[in-house]
Amino acid sequence: MTVTVIPEATVQTTGGTTRATLRRNFWRGVWRVLRRKPSRMAGVVIVLLFAVMGLIGPLLYPDHLPRDDNALYSPPSLQHPFGTDFEGTDVLALVVTGARYVLLTGLATAVITVALGTAIGLFAGFRRGRWDTALMRLTDMNLAIPGLPLLLVLSAVWKFESPIEMGLVLGLLGWGGVARAVRSQTLSLRERGFIEAARGLGLPTTHIIGRELLPSMAPYIAMNMLIAVTGAVYAQVGLFFLGVLPFEANNWGVMLNLAVFNGGALTTPAALPYLLAPLLAILLLTLGIVLIVDAMDEIFNPRLREE
Amino acid sequence: MITGTGITKTFKQRGSVLGGRDVPALRGVDFAIEKGGAVSFIGESGCGKTTLGRIIAGLETYDSGEILIDGAPMSGLSHRKRQPHFRRIQLIHQDPYSALNPTRTIHQTLEAPLRLRARQTGRPRSWIDGRAEELLALVGIDPGYVLPRYPHQLSGGMRQRVVIARALTMDPEMLVADEAVSMIDVSMRLGILALLKDLRERLGVSVLFITHDIATARYIGDEGEVYVLYRGQVVERGPTESIIADPVHPYTQSLLSAIPVLHGLERPGAEQVVPTEALDERQADAGCLFARRCPFSTDRCENETPVLGHLGETVQLHACFHPKHRSVIPLGVGE
Amino acid sequence: MTTSSPAPGCPAPSCPAPGVRIRDLTVVYKTPVGELPAVSGVDLTLTPGTITGVVGESGSGKSTLALSLLNAVQPPGRIKSGTVEIDGLGDVVKLGGEQLRQTRGRKVGYVFQAAQNSLNPLKTIGKQLLDLGRSHEVDDLRALVRDAKDLLARMGMDGARVLDSHQHELSGGMRQRVGIMLALVLNAQVVVLDEPTTALDMITQATILRIIREVHEERALTTLVITHDVGAVAEVADDLAVMYGGRVVEHGRITEVLGAPRHPYTQGLIRAIPRLSGDISLARALPGRPPTLGTLPAAGCVFRERCDKRMEICETVEPQSVTLDGRTVACHAAGRPLPLVKRKEYA
Repeated sequence: MTVTVIPEATVQTTGGTTRATLRRNFWRGVWRVLRRKPSRMAGVVIVLLFAVMGLIGPLLYPDHLPRDDNALYSPPSLQHPFGTDFEGTDVLALVVTGARYVLLTGLATAVITVALGTAIGLFAGFRRGRWDTALMRLTDMNLAIPGLPLLLVLSAVWKFESPIEMGLVLGLLGWGGVARAVRSQTLSLRERGFIEAARGLGLPTTHIIGRELLPSMAPYIAMNMLIAVTGAVYAQVGLFFLGVLPFEANNWGVMLNLAVFNGGALTTPAALPYLLAPLLAILLLTLGIVLIVDAMDEIFNPRLREE
Repeated sequence: MITGTGITKTFKQRGSVLGGRDVPALRGVDFAIEKGGAVSFIGESGCGKTTLGRIIAGLETYDSGEILIDGAPMSGLSHRKRQPHFRRIQLIHQDPYSALNPTRTIHQTLEAPLRLRARQTGRPRSWIDGRAEELLALVGIDPGYVLPRYPHQLSGGMRQRVVIARALTMDPEMLVADEAVSMIDVSMRLGILALLKDLRERLGVSVLFITHDIATARYIGDEGEVYVLYRGQVVERGPTESIIADPVHPYTQSLLSAIPVLHGLERPGAEQVVPTEALDERQADAGCLFARRCPFSTDRCENETPVLGHLGETVQLHACFHPKHRSVIPLGVGE
Repeated sequence: MTTSSPAPGCPAPSCPAPGVRIRDLTVVYKTPVGELPAVSGVDLTLTPGTITGVVGESGSGKSTLALSLLNAVQPPGRIKSGTVEIDGLGDVVKLGGEQLRQTRGRKVGYVFQAAQNSLNPLKTIGKQLLDLGRSHEVDDLRALVRDAKDLLARMGMDGARVLDSHQHELSGGMRQRVGIMLALVLNAQVVVLDEPTTALDMITQATILRIIREVHEERALTTLVITHDVGAVAEVADDLAVMYGGRVVEHGRITEVLGAPRHPYTQGLIRAIPRLSGDISLARALPGRPPTLGTLPAAGCVFRERCDKRMEICETVEPQSVTLDGRTVACHAAGRPLPLVKRKEYA
């Protein structure tokens, strides 16, 4: 019983906006937003620097970093900008090669946290009722898991050699907060006129969730993702620093641990560069991310992006 | 043709552990909207007009009663079975600012429902873009200007036209316009009203117009019908012109009296009806619901419940024991 | 400029209502493309003891104008030039800091747009009243509460009950009346109401308008009502100023402005109001859309794009406000009987 009530006039098709144009405009907008404040560009540069470090850093050095028994804990020099460690290995090389594990873990954690949290939050908020109750109890349980003790137990049986494994564990522990926040956002968004209109038009649920709800939450999700990266970096570095996890790979946390507990960096100045270099790297990475987070609202809101 | 009989709806207010208070939003409303007709629901906020409009648009459930869409009863049907019927009734939201997704261009906003429509009617995908432009032209905006833009780049009036165009993607039988002009700049309101009138006349779409401003009901076209709702009941119902020019129910008269007089252009009507107190939904349900606020109520009104009828041989139906013509509306200075 | 200044702190209603004179007021907003004027070169006189309605569409600058009366334009906006003289206060634009804070509330009462939502949801109305009193160093808080109760009773509400209520326990109309009470309780004599009846239905609107008129007369106020809806001021105002694109395009006695509008915008606006009387086939919307800060033309008449009387001169020359017989009109096409006395404003 489909009735076409509206006569079809012949209107010349001038071609609507294609997806490609939209995508191009989006990236142009992103560029504009980033350029608006120098701090954002600084953030982008820092994060790109780390990304490059993680990607090609290990390729710059031999598999086994050279040791120099004559230069243990040597102070910063032209040859060793951050000095050397207890074996005479260049600290900068350690930081650079150690970046991949840290960054990969951070990324994996962030992806898992956000994907799981968003999916569960969206579904619970959109469906409401029984699904909501069940999923939120699950979320409560997740939030109630004591992370550190669990990791201590896990490390007894698991070596966490791969950063992805590490990220998986941290991600599975951390999605609860995101799920709760996304759910409350969904609950308020679904009352908005455009969601109701989409339901009234009979548009499929996948469209409503994927194309209407999700983009409205994009700045929020992106922010959570970036912050999850910093959280994950702190968490794993912390775990390695505490010596909870075995020192399998080269890692910033391992460096900190060795600097403090073996080198006595807190009492003797010799190992200080060894301690400060990974700290500085973590600090820089966090700073870069925080500087970019500031741009998320403008990137995903067309009004702020175009202005 | 869409008809409803005895529609009731009660909102349960969640209160304390001991249970909440029930607020009746609709107390058995009958209505009939012809194909191509123009029906207006008028009343104060809280009278149930918006709830009824949302029920008719299929966005809200009702407790009892029956809705027939072209003779097909809707109660007892599953959500999936009801959907194709209710898709032919599209709601135009009051707020054109929240009715469009701010993160999607107008092209994207129209493309999604059109793609669905193309699938339903077996049209090729190439039909979509042309149809989007055609619909925008139909609602009186330049497709070339609007399509690539985001909602925030459009004025309130343009957005409301886009919302109407989106509703038209489903080739609807009826548009439910809920306060569709109240958030639009005054100079552009008549444009939207004229568009609704135009769609009625040119496409035969019926229009259900929901408003607290009875004056706007005059502008959606001839042969319109007005339902005056009060606390979930129809208290007066009849042709638009006779309800406005010749109301007999004191509640309708007080609504009309409340409309500001444009001094210099108009002079006030000879009589004014002002309710004796403010609306209180917790008042007892016995007798005439308006009795407590009515300046003309009698003992009978307190005890007996009036039903919709032609008492006093009026043109319109009304639910009042003491119908009386009162000239409450302002007249033009020249008239 | 002669200012008949009454003694400061003169209690209502024994002293005369103050006059307000806005002269050549320009308010600009900072945007990425530079400073753009929301209000430009506005002259407006509020005659003591009258209610002036300011009507305009979105982007007309009416709310900015209202804020200027308290020198409360928020960044990125600022008052660029001009004066706002209030009898007994002097030029408000020059006031600052503590002096300005004391002025707000005590001299100039402001009922915010959507006053229905501007109350603190966590505090009772009474608590908010006491906060207001303390921040203005009122010594006798008991008297303040008494005054508030009187005012609320005057507006048909149970004062004691309202003061004990939270915002959510009151209806839209009641909140609006609380807003009016808070604006008047410190005996302000200049009152600005921004969209006092928006989002209220007709019967409540009529009640609020009647209250505004009655309280205005009893307390000898000078009142400014800002609205987008001519109907909302037609009942109560004595004078009407029509704003468009940051300018006052027409100003005069309301019966004259509505009965015989001279500016094409006013004419179009009145033609566009849905009314209960009159021939509906003559009614039509104004073509086009109101300008925004970014789309305001730099030169010429701001209304010309939508104007049916547009002439060549309108493209380049901005029409000056011309006052004749108490009517101020800024239009090249508006009759223009020989301007014998060319004042900018009617007094």
